[in-house]
Amino acid sequence: MNRRDLALLIGLALTPLVIALLWGALAVAGFLPNPGLYMRGEASAFAFVAGVGLSLWLVSLVWLAWVGARRAHRAEAAAHKAGAADRRRFLERLDHELKNPLTAIRAGLANLPEPAQGPALVSVESQVRRISRLTTDLRKLAELESRPLEFGAVQIDELLETVVGAVRERPEFAERTVVVSVPQAPWPVPAVHGDFDLLLLATLNLLDNALKFTAPGARIEIRAREDGGAVIIEVADTGPGIPVDEQPHLWEELYRGAGARSIPGSGLGLALCRAIVDRHGGKLSVLSQVGKGTVFTLRLPATASP
Amino acid sequence: MTTDRPLVLLVDDEADITANLAPLLTRSGFEVETAADGQEALDRIGAHPPDAIVMDVLMPRLDGREALRRLRRAGDWTPVVLLTRVGESSERAMALEEGADDYLNKPFDPHELIARVRAVLRRARPGQPPLSAAARLVTGPLSFERASRRVRLEQVELQLTPKAVTLLEYLMTHPDELISRERLLDAVWGWDYPTGTRTVDTRMAELRRALHDDPTHPTYIETVSGQGYRFIAPVRGG
Repeated sequence: MNRRDLALLIGLALTPLVIALLWGALAVAGFLPNPGLYMRGEASAFAFVAGVGLSLWLVSLVWLAWVGARRAHRAEAAAHKAGAADRRRFLERLDHELKNPLTAIRAGLANLPEPAQGPALVSVESQVRRISRLTTDLRKLAELESRPLEFGAVQIDELLETVVGAVRERPEFAERTVVVSVPQAPWPVPAVHGDFDLLLLATLNLLDNALKFTAPGARIEIRAREDGGAVIIEVADTGPGIPVDEQPHLWEELYRGAGARSIPGSGLGLALCRAIVDRHGGKLSVLSQVGKGTVFTLRLPATASP
Repeated sequence: MTTDRPLVLLVDDEADITANLAPLLTRSGFEVETAADGQEALDRIGAHPPDAIVMDVLMPRLDGREALRRLRRAGDWTPVVLLTRVGESSERAMALEEGADDYLNKPFDPHELIARVRAVLRRARPGQPPLSAAARLVTGPLSFERASRRVRLEQVELQLTPKAVTLLEYLMTHPDELISRERLLDAVWGWDYPTGTRTVDTRMAELRRALHDDPTHPTYIETVSGQGYRFIAPVRGG
């Protein structure tokens, strides 16, 4: 329950008291045609007392409900925080326990004499590198939740230009139609108060996914617009879409949907995007239809409009 | 027995790591000694001073950081590469502040370690602190005050973002060394997502604009096509 709802409920609860007072005042001032009929001494006292009593009762009910809701909210926040701390500790321990064996394995592999080198060894090396990268990424994802951010005014056109510039050279880019639109009229999309590098990373991840998961010939649109006090950045594609039952899990670390398993990736990209958007006080959501495509929507609080 | 092969002291409490890295370093042209903790390392350094030290941070008895501190307090500036924990940007910053010449996150590519050891040996100035421990870095009209994070060109203070300042610091403490975008991303930003290398280019452009450095005829920062960047001006510490 937010403060506005609470004020409204208290206002409603106080209504009987206001009516009783108004009624009494009107009677005393002689505005009622026959005060004797509406306002005999006992009746007015009764109406006043009843009104006060009813109001007090309603106010306490509302107050109790509000206190209960606040307590539940606090408990939920504390549980969430404890869960996040647990997860961070677990990742730290995992990282700590894996880093030495992985270092030893990599040194051992590099140390093997030349005749032992061959396709099997190349495969082992690449898998070890993959695990190394995974532990590194998990650790960094945990760190992202607490690392200090470098906040500044992030211009959306500059951000999206950099994002597209980063993938322009890739063959997938040439095989798809990529359209960027950042409205300049009637006024430009406002800047966002954020960490440019991290927002770049988040947007780049979304565009990277769109390039990876669509077939050649697909259309990818990167759109920005203003919506109330927020800036919306959308990355939309005409790819295969994501089944409804997979959508709630997309943000989980290491989750990979059925369609994603054959495509290289760590399963951490969207978790990372969400962590970045959360740290900016924004929201990341997805809308998708199988066979039609997907749009990821990044909503960030805008700085003051120009 | 004396040899012209540089002597590297490898310090790690994990025997499997020293057992596998030592032969690799030997094959790469180094003499290698090993120690299992910071105390043993200090004892060995006292008995037989090495040319470079590769040392883990977390170790029993005496950890790597404390061993490094004692070494530097005693005026010993043998180049040290610290093996730090992944993702701990504070730990990396501290490693350099306390006088490490470089650091590498575990698990690392063993060939990268060899490249780093060669680089610190090349940079080493016998008996003198490394650039990473210098309070002031100077090249021509460009100066960098480490403690106040002030960068001046021709006596004029430059307005740079904190990331660009850290980037310049890393480049100036690793002069004449080819540094990949991934390594810069890891060292300066603390993450190494391949799609994020564009971030490095953006900050590098900011730095070049501020330094009036023409990328086609650079005075300070050279782009090595497809490989990374190199700080080409000679740097001295002060």
